[in-house]
Amino acid sequence: MTRTSRRARWVLALLVVFGLVAAACSSNDKKSNGGSGSPTTKSTKLAAATLNGSGSTFQQAYDETVISEFQTSQPAVTVTYAGGGSGKGQTDLQAGLVQWAGSDSTVKPEDVSKYKGPFLYFPTVGAPITISYNLSGVSKLQLSADTIAGIFQGTIKTWDDAAIKADNPGVNLPSTAITVAHRSDGSGTTAGFTLYLTKAAPTTWKLGTDKTVAWPAGEQAGNGNPGVAQIVTGTNGAIGYVDFSDAKAANLKFAAIKNASGKYVAASIAGATAAMEGATVKPDLTFDPINASGPKAYPITSPTYILVYTSQTDAAVGNALKGFLSYIYGPGQDLAAQVDFAKLPANILSQAKAQVAKITVS
Amino acid sequence: MAIDSELLPAPTPDHLGGGRPPGRVTDRVFRVVAFAGGLLVLVILALIAYSTISKAWPAFRDEGLSYFTSDVWDPVNAGFGTLAFSFGTLVISVIALVVAVPVSIGIALFVTELAPRWMRRPVVTLIDLLAAVPSVVYGLWGLLVLVPALPGFYQDWHDLFAGVPVLGDVFDGNPIAGKAFMTAGLILAIMIVPIITAVTRETFATVPQAQKDAALAMGATRWEMIRAAVFPHARSGMTAAILIGLGRAMGETIAVALVIGSSPQITEKLFSSGDALPAVIVNQFGESTGTYQAALIGMGVVLFFLTLIIGVIARAVLARSERKLSAP
Amino acid sequence: MTLLETPPRPSTPPRPPISHSSAGGWRRAKNTIASLLIVGSLVAAMIPLVLIIGYVIVRGIDAISWAFLTEDIPILTRAEGPGMGPAVVGTLLITGAATVMAVPLGVLGGIYLNEYSARSTFGRVVSFFAEVMTGVPSIVMGLFIYSIWVLRFGVSGFAGALALACLMLPVVIRTTEEMLKLVAPELRESAYALGGRKAGTILRVVLPAAAPGIISGALLAVARAAGETAPLLFTVLTVNKTNTDLFNGPNTTLSLQIFRNAQQVFTGPQDRAWGAALTLIAIVFVFTLLSRGLSAVFARKHRV
Repeated sequence: MTRTSRRARWVLALLVVFGLVAAACSSNDKKSNGGSGSPTTKSTKLAAATLNGSGSTFQQAYDETVISEFQTSQPAVTVTYAGGGSGKGQTDLQAGLVQWAGSDSTVKPEDVSKYKGPFLYFPTVGAPITISYNLSGVSKLQLSADTIAGIFQGTIKTWDDAAIKADNPGVNLPSTAITVAHRSDGSGTTAGFTLYLTKAAPTTWKLGTDKTVAWPAGEQAGNGNPGVAQIVTGTNGAIGYVDFSDAKAANLKFAAIKNASGKYVAASIAGATAAMEGATVKPDLTFDPINASGPKAYPITSPTYILVYTSQTDAAVGNALKGFLSYIYGPGQDLAAQVDFAKLPANILSQAKAQVAKITVS
Repeated sequence: MAIDSELLPAPTPDHLGGGRPPGRVTDRVFRVVAFAGGLLVLVILALIAYSTISKAWPAFRDEGLSYFTSDVWDPVNAGFGTLAFSFGTLVISVIALVVAVPVSIGIALFVTELAPRWMRRPVVTLIDLLAAVPSVVYGLWGLLVLVPALPGFYQDWHDLFAGVPVLGDVFDGNPIAGKAFMTAGLILAIMIVPIITAVTRETFATVPQAQKDAALAMGATRWEMIRAAVFPHARSGMTAAILIGLGRAMGETIAVALVIGSSPQITEKLFSSGDALPAVIVNQFGESTGTYQAALIGMGVVLFFLTLIIGVIARAVLARSERKLSAP
Repeated sequence: MTLLETPPRPSTPPRPPISHSSAGGWRRAKNTIASLLIVGSLVAAMIPLVLIIGYVIVRGIDAISWAFLTEDIPILTRAEGPGMGPAVVGTLLITGAATVMAVPLGVLGGIYLNEYSARSTFGRVVSFFAEVMTGVPSIVMGLFIYSIWVLRFGVSGFAGALALACLMLPVVIRTTEEMLKLVAPELRESAYALGGRKAGTILRVVLPAAAPGIISGALLAVARAAGETAPLLFTVLTVNKTNTDLFNGPNTTLSLQIFRNAQQVFTGPQDRAWGAALTLIAIVFVFTLLSRGLSAVFARKHRV
């Protein structure tokens, strides 16, 4: 090969490389980044700001729906939500990597000092945690708390176990092995689910309650609520706890759970609303609808919160946060039903709206 | 023998391609800049070692030796024993090697001994394409294609070996679920075939043709020639290749995290879910703080040193075999 | 041998055909079995390659469209429909930034190792540690950058680029060193004999001679970096709209999106994952094939 054509070869390669990079850069210039600074015809009150959030996958579908609508009405504000589980949201907020965190579980007292300052809980919606299952030939299932505890602790290993049969008289249960799916990441959904078992099956359930527990060996773990849903849909005989929105969207079957009043209640928005309405609200606006009393209450209903720091140093970010939260407590509540979440009961909603004013912007 | 350019007279213009060549100052500057580039490696490596070890130290200090020997991983109650994860990493790496090494040796033999000349480069290119596929794509394919397809095979293997003393236990677990040690091991095997093949191929290529011809001239079949002339020469090269493959398998993170099941346990049942060192870091780092985070970073440190040691041994073995082969 | 005969290629003298071996039946059988196993192992390796690339192409091609490559990522994760624009831009930006940081430094480092301190202890130590660094698991790099950069300056595309650059640097140094070694010493000596200084010789004689090999190594490092996920997990967070600002705010890449969407149960994000995988493989393959083409050029030029 001649010297010229050899040179030409690697010059050509270099050109390709630079061409790719140049193409990327030029396409960047043509794109505008979320309308930052571009004037709108609406009476936009909020200045350009970016609100990065992470955390609970339980509330993710709701957050994304609200973000989509909110950004349409406030084009100067960019909101992102990375998911990752309640644990990640709390850790990211502690490190200051995000401006808001989604969490279904409250912060443990010993972790409060890790935050950069005082923070506020803003409840947004509630929803059932379903016990989703995949068992060919069985379309209706009822489960009591002790049975659920036995299944997830590994003491009940097959679907035709006596305990499950006792909950489901007349149902033909196969002898398939049970594959349990739980969360591999730190999860507020796990916290809510295990809290329910601690309250409703105190003698049977031995693993305590937290964002992650010492699950027995041999179970399967998935990342995020959709990850658990993926395991359940993929394996015959699988069972797992999945938030209502993802379970419905994934066409999962879920069991009716025996509530504190002794009735088997299927997961539904109505059941979640009934559970939330009776719950006591603490001064920091956290409340606990788990194992609520009342015949219509779905016992594994979880609240979910947005955590933000009380004093915001960046004016644009602080005002954007207030606007975002106000939107959630306004048009946002009506969006909840679209993605299978229950909106807040009236008393909690009014307290939450009032708490938005507590965010100070310097 | 390099000539020290400092001793030469000052250059006259118009040579070496025209224009004034760089002078003395430029020479010094360039030397310093190049030195900085080399030094940067040491600096970064030292920084990595220092920062990760110091961040991981609280876990080592609090747990002591049980950090390595305990199989109780309970972040809630501050129990950080990493044995189950080391076990998982070891198991899937062994599965990967058991599957990949024979295949790689076969491909290397094919390329050096069996294939017609025109076939060599295309085959090598195809194998290198396997190496070019990013780990996350392996994970995607593994999770969405392989995991749904495997339970059938696992059931069959389980039924085949049911009752057999050792193998029956090994091919057991939860065959109906697709995420398991075996799945991760199989994906890893596909991923390490290219690197083992490449090193083995190069080793086979250094076998002196004279020895091969001698074997053939004495009436050996090709297989006998391979056993007599190629394998003995390539033994340490193949060992190095296996070690390099092992190192790669142990460090593989994303694909393993997606298909292993994320449920740490120590068991001989290969069809059950488990967890591995890098995979658990991916899954749990995001939510970790304090000693929990230190424990996870500590696993990264452990992994780093393990792959380092294996890499050093592999390099030494390879260097020794090169010295042996190049000796007259 | 007359001028009219083509001389045989010196590296492979004609081999005696196996059929002339007077081996007995069992030996022949073993040979045949061995040959079958050898070919079988090639087939065994080809099957997953075909399956993987096949699935990616088949599932991904439906998702790929101009809209897919340019539109924003849907905000509702479970939504169907296209949009990986931000990820494409992110991959190119972050990998590009990492390349800009790692390749010049790596080439300089390799030059230093081979030209200035090839025989010194310091040079051997640095070379050894560069080799060591190529084996650092990518997740450790991510943790490292998280500890020293992200906790101080927040997430950004630049943090991800730093992590990728740390991964690429030792690879580029090592390949540069190896390629420079292959340049004949006579080339350097004749340059010195003509009065050249060291830097000039390197820049004008040695580097151009080694260039195809060095670029080949760099392209391979770029291909590897483009596909990396673990180092970006804790340094880059995620976005839905393209972020061209490398130093401010989160970003996303094709690899991160594939990792996220692979674990989704809904078909919408799964389809986007396949499309992203196809795009990523296309980018990586282009760089890999370019690299191999260049290294073939280099090998021919410097046949040892």
